[in-house]
Amino acid sequence: MNKKIKPLLILIFLLFNLFLFSQETSDKLLFNSVIKKKATEYKSFPFFYKAASYFIEEAWDSTLVYTAKQLNSHQKKKDLKDFTNYLRGHSFKQKLLFKEAQKEFKLISLEFEFYNLVKFRLGQLSLELNHFKEAIVYYQELAQLPEDHFKYFNKSLVYHHLGLCYLHLKEFDKAEPFLIENVRLIEQKKDTLELIAGYGNLANLYYEQYKDDLAIPYFEKAYALSKSTKSFKKRSNTSLNMSVVEENRKDFSKALTYRKEYEQWQDSINNQNRIYEVAKIEKEFAVKQKQQEVNLLAAENKAKVKERNGLLYSALTLLILLGVTFYFYKEKTKTNKIVLEQKERLNELNATKDKLFSIVSHDLRSSVNALKTSNNKLLENLESKSLDTLKETLKNNSNIVGSAYSLLDNLLHWALLQTKQSYFQIEQTRLFFIVEQVAENYKSLMEDKGIAFKNSVQKTDKVFTDQESLKIILRNLIDNAIKFSKAKDHIHVYTQNKDSEYCNLIIEDSGLGISKTKLAELLMDETPLSKKEHENTIGTGLGLQLCKTYIEKNKGIFSIESTLKKGTKMIVSLPKATSNG
Amino acid sequence: MDNVNVLIVEDTPTESDALTKVLEANNYNIVGVATTFKNALDLFYNNPVDIVVLDIFLNDNPDGIAFAETISVTPNASKPFVFLTSSTDRKIFERAKLTQPFSYLMKPFNELEILYALEMAVEKFYAQPDVFLGEEEDTIISSEYLFIKKGKSLKKVLLTDIIYIEVEEKYCNIITEKEKFVILISLTKISKLLDDTIFSRTHRNYIVNTEKITEIIPSDNLILLSGNHKATLSDTYKDILKNIRTLK
Repeated sequence: MNKKIKPLLILIFLLFNLFLFSQETSDKLLFNSVIKKKATEYKSFPFFYKAASYFIEEAWDSTLVYTAKQLNSHQKKKDLKDFTNYLRGHSFKQKLLFKEAQKEFKLISLEFEFYNLVKFRLGQLSLELNHFKEAIVYYQELAQLPEDHFKYFNKSLVYHHLGLCYLHLKEFDKAEPFLIENVRLIEQKKDTLELIAGYGNLANLYYEQYKDDLAIPYFEKAYALSKSTKSFKKRSNTSLNMSVVEENRKDFSKALTYRKEYEQWQDSINNQNRIYEVAKIEKEFAVKQKQQEVNLLAAENKAKVKERNGLLYSALTLLILLGVTFYFYKEKTKTNKIVLEQKERLNELNATKDKLFSIVSHDLRSSVNALKTSNNKLLENLESKSLDTLKETLKNNSNIVGSAYSLLDNLLHWALLQTKQSYFQIEQTRLFFIVEQVAENYKSLMEDKGIAFKNSVQKTDKVFTDQESLKIILRNLIDNAIKFSKAKDHIHVYTQNKDSEYCNLIIEDSGLGISKTKLAELLMDETPLSKKEHENTIGTGLGLQLCKTYIEKNKGIFSIESTLKKGTKMIVSLPKATSNG
Repeated sequence: MDNVNVLIVEDTPTESDALTKVLEANNYNIVGVATTFKNALDLFYNNPVDIVVLDIFLNDNPDGIAFAETISVTPNASKPFVFLTSSTDRKIFERAKLTQPFSYLMKPFNELEILYALEMAVEKFYAQPDVFLGEEEDTIISSEYLFIKKGKSLKKVLLTDIIYIEVEEKYCNIITEKEKFVILISLTKISKLLDDTIFSRTHRNYIVNTEKITEIIPSDNLILLSGNHKATLSDTYKDILKNIRTLK
């Protein structure tokens, strides 16, 4: 008989454990909310706060670490300490370190708000450690509490545990009322699973005492109830119990059916396990697949980002390229414009040059032609030996050659200026001597024309100038003055030192003068070349052009003052040389 | 006073003839007309030359410059140059300019221009500017001669011919064996530039050629000079007695 009971007892334990945990869940949730509240209340204690949050997350190790830290901080607050100890005790319990758990729970002071819960836990621990008598003490105290104290733990559980304790101590008569009470309470709650366990316990109680008549109906009740549940475990347990019962009654065929049923349920459990495993594998597979998908998506995303970046970069490069191209295009158009302008200017200059050539050659041709006819005349005169006319003609010829020479001279200097080949050296120069030297060449001409010449430049007047270019300037200005003067006119060269920086060299004549429009034309940057207003005078405007350029080159200023019929003043202002000798 | 000796280096006869005519008309002495580089060197070393007028181009080569360069590098031989040229080609000018001091004249030129160029060349060569062109002075002192502007032209006087110089404010009376004339020069300049081993100051107004001293009479403060000239010796300048070699 004993042998047959033993597996039953094991069965009871199994049930008991299952029972214990299923009951706990609702109470746990309730108590967790209490802990949460406490944690927010003691937020200023970071260790406790952390421990509490880990507790709720059921991370027991972390809870133990932080509660230890909290305890080490020697906080005097009793409430806080008790709570910490409770968290520690519960964590140890969850880690199946029952003795440590017991120690922690015992540290909690009697004033603790939830001391009943502590007692309950201590009872549980004693039960786990098979200290049934201790457990009974705890549970007896709890059992006598009024109804409203069973907030965070179940009264039926208290009765159940008490019953179990007595059962283990084989004090069946003491166990019976508790188990019956337990069943009654469960029946009130109408919890099928618990009820099955309750009936099982009662059945075992009676069976142990060989009160088979009392036990069997409970077994059957449990068995009947188990049919309505989906739990294979319950079904197999009740079937196994029934088969043991039938076996003891020697009703083997029934026992066999129960046994078979039990095995069937056992298989189902195994199947279920296998299904779980398969499901688990499938789940894992699915997770893997999902992960792969995620990876794929991530990769795709990466590729997309890359592509987008690539696009961005290429767009940027394109933009820069466009900018650069635009810049160069602009530069090119600019240079093109400049080139075009230069081309136009070159064309203009070329046209001027062509015109100049035509005028110069025309003038030279007429000069040479005049010489030719004059030479013929000379020959005639020579034959007729009229020496007076001979002299006259020769003088005339010499004049023609003189002006042709000065034209050629100007042409040469103009060409030299254009090619910038000429030697040019600005030095201190005494104006008087230069004027004298230049005037020397025109003395006979002026005498012939009956023009009075006077050089009243001071010998001390010194300027900075290039000697040769000053001579060219003077030659042209004096030549002009002579051209536009008649007999009894006079030419006067003198200086004015009104300015501290410039010395004004003035070539004044009492000749024809220049009209206002012509004057403006002459002073323009580029004098249009033209035939002269006054016939019989060779000239192209080249001389004056040359003067202007050379004066500019010598850093001087050129101006003309003129009144028609009264005369002209040509003023050349040159930088003064500091007179130190 | 002697005429200034000019050497003409010019390969075109018409031009050298014209030049000769103008210079002779102005009392210059033409020592020769060279037409080639070699000819020019020959004439230069065998004649007493004061000024050289030379064409840059001889037979289309810039031999004129070569000649000037050769003379320039010979110690104590160099004389004032006037370059003649018909072109203002910069490259040629740059080369010619290396023979310092540099004076040039553009062809064609008239009488005034060549005379001016000669004077400028002498002024520049002896580094005594604004002498002939200004109104304050008219004499340039070289180591051998006085170059004096006389009318339109230049004259020279051998320094060793001078017996004594008498200073009268801006003017100096130059007394030589043969003649006596006045030049315009400052006393400071003349005392600075004259060779003081030959010329000595004997009085505020007297500079004497010590070689021409015949007798010194310190008691009368009198110096007797050759040609029966007399100069005054003042106390301030009696030190010269120690410096003058006297026969004993």
